[in-house]
Amino acid sequence: MTSRILVVDDDTALAEMIGIVLRTEGFDTVFCADGAAAVDVWRAERPELVLLDLMLPGMDGIEICTRIRAESGVPIIMLTARTDTADVVRGLESGADDYIVKPFNPKELVARIRTRLRPAAQSSGDTLRIGDLSVDVAAHEVRRADEVISLTPLEFELLVALAAKPQQVFSREMLLEQVWGYHYKADTRLVNVHVQRLRAKVELDPDNPKIVTTVRGVGYRAGAVV
Amino acid sequence: MSTANASRRVTARLRDWRRWPEEVTRAWRGSLRFRTVLLTLGLTALAVLAAFVFMALAIQNDLFQSRLEQVLGDAARTTQTAQATLDSAEVEGDAVAVDNLLVNVSTVARQAATDMTAALRTDTTSPLAPQGFTTGGLTEDLLSPGLRASVRDTGDLQWWQSSALPDGDGGTVPGIIVGQQLEVPEAGAYELYFGYDLADAAQTLSFVQVTLWIVGAALVMLIGGISWVVLRSVTSPIAEAAETSARLANGELGVRLQVRGDDELATLARSFNAMADSIESQIKDLADLSLVQQRFVSDVSHELRTPLTTIRLASDMLNDQREAFDPTTARAAELLHAQVQRFETLLTDLLEISRYDAGSVQLESEPTSMAQLAEDVIASMQQLADQHGTDVRLIAPGGYSPVEMDPRRVRRIVRNLLGNAIEHGEGRPIVVTVDSDQRAVALGVRDYGLGMTASDAERVFDRFWRADPSRRRTIGGTGLGLSIALGDARLHGGTLAVWSALGRGTHFVLTIPRQGTDFDGTSPIPADPGEDGAFDSLGLTQPIEIPQADRREKR
Repeated sequence: MTSRILVVDDDTALAEMIGIVLRTEGFDTVFCADGAAAVDVWRAERPELVLLDLMLPGMDGIEICTRIRAESGVPIIMLTARTDTADVVRGLESGADDYIVKPFNPKELVARIRTRLRPAAQSSGDTLRIGDLSVDVAAHEVRRADEVISLTPLEFELLVALAAKPQQVFSREMLLEQVWGYHYKADTRLVNVHVQRLRAKVELDPDNPKIVTTVRGVGYRAGAVV
Repeated sequence: MSTANASRRVTARLRDWRRWPEEVTRAWRGSLRFRTVLLTLGLTALAVLAAFVFMALAIQNDLFQSRLEQVLGDAARTTQTAQATLDSAEVEGDAVAVDNLLVNVSTVARQAATDMTAALRTDTTSPLAPQGFTTGGLTEDLLSPGLRASVRDTGDLQWWQSSALPDGDGGTVPGIIVGQQLEVPEAGAYELYFGYDLADAAQTLSFVQVTLWIVGAALVMLIGGISWVVLRSVTSPIAEAAETSARLANGELGVRLQVRGDDELATLARSFNAMADSIESQIKDLADLSLVQQRFVSDVSHELRTPLTTIRLASDMLNDQREAFDPTTARAAELLHAQVQRFETLLTDLLEISRYDAGSVQLESEPTSMAQLAEDVIASMQQLADQHGTDVRLIAPGGYSPVEMDPRRVRRIVRNLLGNAIEHGEGRPIVVTVDSDQRAVALGVRDYGLGMTASDAERVFDRFWRADPSRRRTIGGTGLGLSIALGDARLHGGTLAVWSALGRGTHFVLTIPRQGTDFDGTSPIPADPGEDGAFDSLGLTQPIEIPQADRREKR
């Protein structure tokens, strides 16, 4: 099955070039050059992944990201020319799973896309326990008692990674490798922002986390099963 | 500034009397008010002293003169009366009568305004002349020979001298002795002396003097106090202006002086405020300019990067398929690919530098172990080192505990230093040292390559500077790497030092201070490695040999 990718970028040359690269790799591509139309195009096409430029005419990438996230957990990768702290963090906080800094090379782009499209790690068909949550890996479902908590695939993967090895303390680098597929030093803010987003959804009190606990100076680990 | 604190400090200073001269000197140099008041006090005291001494002398003189006139008159009158009594007496050679005459004289003399009288026989040859008399303690030895000679030699002139007279209690009082000749019939000339004390005058004088001193001292204090108060009204605004300027200099651009009234101080305040307005607006303009610059850099970044991304993607695709092209086109694709990458690195570095210039760089610090970081960087560059046949050794006696730093930037610095070392290390081992002390953590990268001259070493951090333009570059450096590394080190409050010697290699030392310590620039790793054997102590088991035959001059 070929995955369909929506490329939202106002620079038609770049969009076309990305299209060429992606089609060479066997992906199906849809384009949208107008920020204002991006959400509608996304609704109509229902792509498996969105490549989103941050600076767009009409509506900026962060706003589009927020709107798509409100409706779906579809993987979103931001394209940004700015590595400035504020922009990247804002993008991640609005729900983007990952980001690629321009200029990037085709291999990097494809690798990022494949990581986000790969089927979730099938560690076991079992149900994992973390804190007072139960995680049904096969059904891709997280429950607190009878209440289902909806997570994006990335957040789910992050939670499963922690829950699968409850004894293990994960450094940010380990999580970057396991969840984001980075095999070299990357931006640890990715981990920080997504742990915050995850906590906001699964913790009863995000200021006093019990599910994803911080190990100061090292990283994160799963909270004790209740 | 707290007054209580200041007064406590002053008290403490007063207690330490040994430091007074130093404190006074400091106050003299440091306080306009202290200096002026001290000067005013000194000069006023001098003026008052001169005036009062003059006054005291004038009063003393006047008192003495009037007393002198009084006593001279009194003495003359009494002598005249006595002489008249003597002249009217008839003695005719009777010794008893002559004696009686002298008794009469002493009676007359008692009418004088003093009880100190003396009559002394001038002519001791006359058998009839009786002994003179003295009353009230006016003895002969109180009279100076000069006075006696004068009285003896002139007939009826009055003579006087100042003298200390006995006051009856064994002490003395200042006084005047007046003398005149007295002609006693049959017995010849006698000298009649009267001693007048000046006790009243002295008392008046001392009262006047005491009053004068008290008034003088009070006057000096008063003038000192007045000048202190007056000066305070002048110096307080000056001190306030000084404090405000200091705050302005510290970046509080909004501070202004209060303008009171219309005098010179108000003018000063107005000028100061005008200056502050001007500075504030200029700084604001500059800040706006810097903001414009930052925005421009950001925009350029975006605008350049988007087309560059397209070019990059295209060149990568072409490069991947170059086997399908004829050799010329394939080579062209290869060149395009390589140069696009170079262009990209250059652009990234340029943007980084311009961010430093715009001051828009922020650290994202987290506790990081320098030793661990060095290990990671060495591992990531192992492939490059292998290509050059270089052995990279890590010696880390310290630097394991995490220190606040921006790991991405520090990693970039270390990568840069290690890349340079590999490139210039001539394939000889490279030693990376990590160590720390209480104040800082440091990382040194030492290569045993050609090294540089001292003047070259000074320029390594200059932008686009290359030690040897003719040398082959194997790592696509932009010439900005070390400038950026230095910028990153400084951003951490740290230093990046270099030591290099021709034929001995180069040693870069990055030092990053621990947070909350007063880092003075001394690194746990000295940049100058001293004799090449210094690393032995750090546990290097294999000596690093520098083949002498291979030692060439660089240029």
